[in-house]
Parts: sequence; structure tokens; C-alpha cells
Amino acid sequence: MRFLGYLIRRIVGIAAVMIGVSVITFAISHVIPTDPAAAALGDHATDEQIAAFRAEYRLDRPLVEQYVTYATGILHGDLGRSIRTRRAVVDDLVDSFPATLELSFTALLVAMLVGVPAGVWSALYRGRPPDLIVRLLALAGGSIPVFWLGLIVIGLGYYQLGWFPGGGRIDTFVQPPPPRTGLYVVDSVIAGDLDALRSSLLHLVLPALTLGYFSTAVIARMTRSSMLEVLGQDYMRTARAKGLRERVIVVRHALRNALIPTVTIIGLTFGSLLSGAVLTETIFSWPGLGRYATASAVSLDFPAVLGVTLLAAVVYPLANLVVDVAYYWLDPRIQHG
Amino acid sequence: MSYRRLPILFIVALFIAAACTQPPPPTGATGASATPQATGGAASTLVYYADVSDLISLDPAVAYEFSGILLVHNAYETLVKFEGADLANIKPSLATSWDTKDAGATWDITFKLKSGVKFASGNALTADDVVYSLQRVIKLNKSPAFLFTDIAALKAESIKATDASTVVVSMPKTASAQGFLSILTFTVGGIVDSKEVKTHETGADSGSGWLLDHSAGSGPYSIDHWTKNSEVLLKANANYGGTKPALSGVLVKHVPESTNQQFALEKGDADVARNLSPQQVAALQGKTGITTTQGNSLLLVYIGMNSTAKPLDNVNVREALRTAIDYDGIIKDLLKGNAKKVQGIVPVGLSGANESAPFQADVAKAKALLAQAGQTAITLELLVPTGPAPGGVAWADLASKLQADWAKIGVTVNIKQTAQADLLTTYRAQKGQLVMILWGPDFPDPDANVGPFTDYAAKSIAYRNAWDDKTIAAKGRDAALITDVTKRTAAYKEITEYVLHNGPYAVLYQPTELFGLRSNVKGFAWNPMGWLDFASITK
Repeated sequence: MRFLGYLIRRIVGIAAVMIGVSVITFAISHVIPTDPAAAALGDHATDEQIAAFRAEYRLDRPLVEQYVTYATGILHGDLGRSIRTRRAVVDDLVDSFPATLELSFTALLVAMLVGVPAGVWSALYRGRPPDLIVRLLALAGGSIPVFWLGLIVIGLGYYQLGWFPGGGRIDTFVQPPPPRTGLYVVDSVIAGDLDALRSSLLHLVLPALTLGYFSTAVIARMTRSSMLEVLGQDYMRTARAKGLRERVIVVRHALRNALIPTVTIIGLTFGSLLSGAVLTETIFSWPGLGRYATASAVSLDFPAVLGVTLLAAVVYPLANLVVDVAYYWLDPRIQHG
Repeated sequence: MSYRRLPILFIVALFIAAACTQPPPPTGATGASATPQATGGAASTLVYYADVSDLISLDPAVAYEFSGILLVHNAYETLVKFEGADLANIKPSLATSWDTKDAGATWDITFKLKSGVKFASGNALTADDVVYSLQRVIKLNKSPAFLFTDIAALKAESIKATDASTVVVSMPKTASAQGFLSILTFTVGGIVDSKEVKTHETGADSGSGWLLDHSAGSGPYSIDHWTKNSEVLLKANANYGGTKPALSGVLVKHVPESTNQQFALEKGDADVARNLSPQQVAALQGKTGITTTQGNSLLLVYIGMNSTAKPLDNVNVREALRTAIDYDGIIKDLLKGNAKKVQGIVPVGLSGANESAPFQADVAKAKALLAQAGQTAITLELLVPTGPAPGGVAWADLASKLQADWAKIGVTVNIKQTAQADLLTTYRAQKGQLVMILWGPDFPDPDANVGPFTDYAAKSIAYRNAWDDKTIAAKGRDAALITDVTKRTAAYKEITEYVLHNGPYAVLYQPTELFGLRSNVKGFAWNPMGWLDFASITK
């Protein structure tokens, strides 16, 4: 019951964050000096067209009134109409979010499956070549810009070697699975379509590696340092003294305790995955939220930018909530209260 | 607690299962299609890689963006058309003939329709469809509607069917009949299947919700699907009355990064790459399996000079600035030859274009002009947009080149770079000094440039540069109304020649478009209006 109360308080907190985020982004997007009407209508528009546009998007109303209208809309599930695509922002988000979710989850999965073992391995071989290799790769992962990495990865994996497709979510001549969740991998499994599954998995490889590299590096470094800390503890010596197998010592006794800071980092990197998706999606022609955000920002499509920001404002605290719940699972001594 | 690992095991199992089902296909082979879509697979589908982030609607009454125009053009037919790249002579299409009569207060244009034309649905095309389509544009009042309502001064009741194969359009004599015919060649004049569209009307939307991503035309292709942010597939229209398209499908893939387009072209995954830079095109020269080609555009990149900002109010100062610019250097070095040297206000390709290009980096003459104007040291601000200019050079690089050219005649220019939207806001408010920007005509007629560039009252380019020359504005308005083509062209020649030396503009160049193609792609002919006929392409 105490846990349930905690959950409710967190969800109320998320709502408060959303109100704050909506006020701030709304204010920022409306005080920038650029006129969205000029951006949307371009060179040929007449003064009358600009005035009509400003009236349609209520840009001629006082800022507070604009916000109240907008906030009321949110409560009714209406995020306004995109200036660029002329569609309801909610529809645009529903179209593009699953692609980003699929890519981000795959990237996170890659980061966990590679980052945690690499960190453990590095800690076990502290100061020796495997450790140096992991630390070097982790350093690179933290410092290479995503767009540059993306071009290198495409150049190698697609252009030079031809092992993986060069962009998009599925082969040009493979029919996408009927949409259920919007995640191509899941939908292909539901439809039992192996061609679509294989194609969508292959299409995930390069962008997920690109997007996941930074998180992999961060996770590996964090796992390494917390493993080193745990490995020096007294109970490790006890475990060894009582003759447990090394595998059991490392996985059961060391890793589980070392994972708590790593889980925190995983939650935080999920946020960086969303922002990394902006560049990765453009490079890999990935029809997701990141590319939608880029195109919207470039054309000063403020209803769309606000919509993306609000969605991020929900996803990010939710990821953190999942992390907090995971703590509980990893270490029952942690009490949420 | 092994159940905790179940989700991970499941996902890993998925990867393994998928990897094991079949060996990966060779990504380089276009023939390696698995389950071909509606069009019969890769061999008979043109794969066209382009940045189509501007796509808003595929409805002819709504589309007014480059990508939309390209697709709509291939799905709909118009009453009259231009053939190939010739934008001077109007030819029959759905109308076999047309006749312009002086009806006292109005021009009445009578169109006789071709018989036996069918829409993709199988419905026969009649005068009712034409009236419905043209009235629909006015009723919906979306981006391209001003071409009908402002330029041609039409109202819904101006368009009537007198019998099943005759349509009469009455327009006020203040508007240009020739200009209206040019407008009708454009996608906004696309004729929709009224029976089909009416079944999809929702409220007062005239079916625009459905036509957003469907088509109901009589063109060589129809829209199979548009997956937002990903692709549009056109498939051949079995009921098309003209020469059947060689390829049964055209797949337009949204690929924003030009590097990806280049890679995919080289690997054979793309048949056409739309957005290559001059450097990429240079790198592709001589590669096996690839050709590159150019297409004309109707854009002009120009500098507007505010004619009330001192000392730009002096005609000799403006002439000096024009004279000092190294146009050849811009085109050869910065644009790698990817542009035409055009200095008049009507682009080459339209009737009335003035090919005279008298200016080229004459420092002595420019200095003499400044001296004549009593000016020695001038400092001006040059407003420049961010990003790339048409032709593939950064606006900022163009600006630096101009700064250097003008420094040679003692003119100091401070470059101020802003987002295009900000630049336009300043420009519209007549608050710029020197403004570098581009212009493309709204319809393929010299009036679409001469009006905005000469008529202060039109509140367009002349207004933005505070250039109020009533004589030339009146001449421009008169020229538009001339029906005799030879006389009209002569009138435009006189106007453009005057603007060349007296106007507040320095036209820098007319960019060309660059394309990368697989060598087996034949029949690719870019139209300066911003489209190509997919039906004439083979591969």
C-alpha cells in the first residue's frame, strides 16, 4: 500500500512537471522574435494572408489567453494543429512516436547488453589490456558526435560492406506489417511475417548501434567503477573464502550490488537517447519523433515543437519512475516513502 | 530467479530467430525484392530518393510545395499544358481547343473537352468534373487558390458548363487571360473525379481530407499510398488514355540526408537521387552505373536594394553595386557551374525573358559611377538567410564573395545572417538595406515576376525595396493584358531592360537543379516548373 501511495505521488509530480514544461516552452516559443506566420507562409504571402494566419493560430491574442486556450486543449487531448504538416499534432505524434520508441528501446537494449558485461570485464581485468580497450572505447563513445558516428557507421556497414541497409525502417519492397503497436518488430511477430521481421531487425542494427554507443560507454564506465568498489568489499572476500565458484561470486554477489548506480544511469541515458534520436533519425531516414522535431523546429512550427516537448516531459520522468521501481526490485531494503 | 530474465531472453531469441530464417539479402541488388508491393516489384518501379519533408497534401487544390506538385502533376491532367520544357506555348490537354472572346465586361474563355477521357476509377470525365474541380479550388481557399481568386480574379460563379463537353470561364478584363491559361497548366488546374470525390466528402471539406493521401485523377499514375514521413507510392493508372507509362510504379522515398541519397544511388538501391550537392555530383562523375543530369529551374537569386535607404536612393550607386559584382566567379567557383548567368527579372525559360547580362566585375566603371553619385566611402548592411542557397552554395559564402567584390570599389558591407523568416519580416517592413534572397514565379508567365518586381502597389518585391516607379508599374500591368504573344514579349523586353539599369535589384544567377541517376534510367526530363513526367521514364 505504501508503494501504491508512492506511485500516486510520483504521477502527480509528473503532472506538475508537465504544467511547468508547458508554461516554459509556450513562453519561449512565443517570445522568440521570429514571426511563425512569416516562416510558414514564406516570401509570396500577402499582408492579408499573414493576418489571417495570425488569427487562425490566435497569435493576435494576448499571450495569457493563448496559453489558456492551449492548456484547455491539452486537457481535451488536443495539442493544436501543426503549421508545417497542417495535421493535428496528436496525430503526428501518434504516427512518429512508435518508430522512436522502437529505436530507443533497441539502442538501450544494445547499451545494456554490451555496456554491463564490458564494464564487468573491464573491472575484473583492471589495469590489463581488456580494461584499457574498454576504457578507450568508452572514452570514444562519450566524445564522438552522433551525426559523425552515424555517417561513419552507414559508410562502413552499408556503403562499404553492404551488410546492413542504409536507412528507413524496412526494405523498400517489403510490405510493413499491419500496424498494431506501431513497433515493426513486434507487429511482424504478431502477424507472423518473417520477411518483415528480418527486414525490420536488420534496419534497426546501424541506427541502434549509433544511438546506443554513447549510452553503452556511459553504462560500461559506471558498471566498471561500481564493480571495482564492490569487489573490494569484505563480503566478497567472505564469498571467496567459503569456496563459491567465481561465476557465482561475480554475478550474484558483485554484479547485483554494483547494478544499482548502473540502473540510475540507464534511466538517465534514456533521456539522452530521445535527444540523440533527433540526429540519428535524420541520418538514417528514420521516420520518428526526432526527425519530426527537427523538421518542426526548422520551420518554426511551434505547436509541433510544444507537442514533442510535452511528450518528452512525460516520457523522461516515466523512465525515471521505472528506474526507481527497479531499485526496489534490486534491493528490497530501499523503501519508497 | 530466472523468470526475471525472461524479457531479455525473449528479445534475444527474436533476434536469433530472425537472423536464422534466411541469409541476409544483398542490399546492393535492386532485384532482391522479397514481397513486391502493388506495383510488381523493383524491376518495374522507379525508386526516387528525395527530401520530401515539405509534403503537406496530395490534393491539387491544396498542394503548393515542390514535393506535392511533383506527385500531383503525375496523377492529374489539366485543361491545357506546356509540352516539355517549353513554357512559352500553351498546348491542348483535356481541352482540345479554347477560344478567348471579348464579352463586353469580361473575357470569356470557352474550353471544348476531349471525349472518351476516363478517370482512374473508370468514371468518364465531363464538363461537370471540370466545373467541380475549379470551383473546389476557390471554395477550399488553400495555398494555391490565390492564383484563381487574385491573379485571375475568378469567383466560383465565373466557371460554368454549357454542355457535357464545354466549359466557359468568365474573367474580369483587369486580369490577364494569357496568365490564366498559364495558371491552368499548373497542378492547381488538375481535374478531379467529382463523382469519386463526392463520396468521400466530410462536412464542408470537399473531400480534401480524403484527397490528402489519395488521388482521383486521369493522369498516368494514381496514388497507391502515402506513409507519412517515409514514402509515397504511385502506381500506373490502367485507365490512362495517353501512352501507357513504361514503369508500373514510382516510389518516392523520404531521405533527408544527401549523403544517404548518394550512397543508395551508388549501391543501386535508389534509381534517382534528388538532393545532391555540386560537390557530390562532381564526386559521382565517371563512376560506373551512374550518370548525372541537370534540370532548369525558374528561380532567381537576387539582391534587393532599399531605394529609400541612403545612398541607395541614387540610381548610380545601385548601378555601381551591380557593376562591381563578379557574377562569373560566383557561378564558376562557388556554384561549380550549377547556374545560369541571368541578370534580368524574368528567368530564362519563360516568354519575355531578357537574356542581356551586361554586368561583370568592372571595378573602374563602378568607381566612376560612385564618383558620379558623389560617393566615396559607403557602409551598408547586407541581410542574408542561413543555410544553403539554391544551386548548393551556402548563403554565407555568397555574402562573403559579394563583400569582397564591393570592397574593391570602396563599399564596406556588414553581413548580417538571420533565419529566412526573420529576414522576410524585416524585408517586408521595408527595413532592409541590402537583402539577398530568392524568388520563384507563382505561375509560368512573365507577369508572375514582372508584377512583383515592378508594381509597388502589389506590396511584394518592389514594395519591400521601397521602389515606387508608377510608370514602369503601369507598363507591367498593361503588358500582362496583351493577348498578342509577339507584342507581349516585346513589351516585356522593354520593361526588363529598364529595370536592369534603374530597378533596385542585382540578379545574381538562375540556379540549375542537379540529379544523380542510375545509368539504366532513361527518359528523365526535369521541367523547370518543378516536376517531371514519370510516365516517360524507363529503366
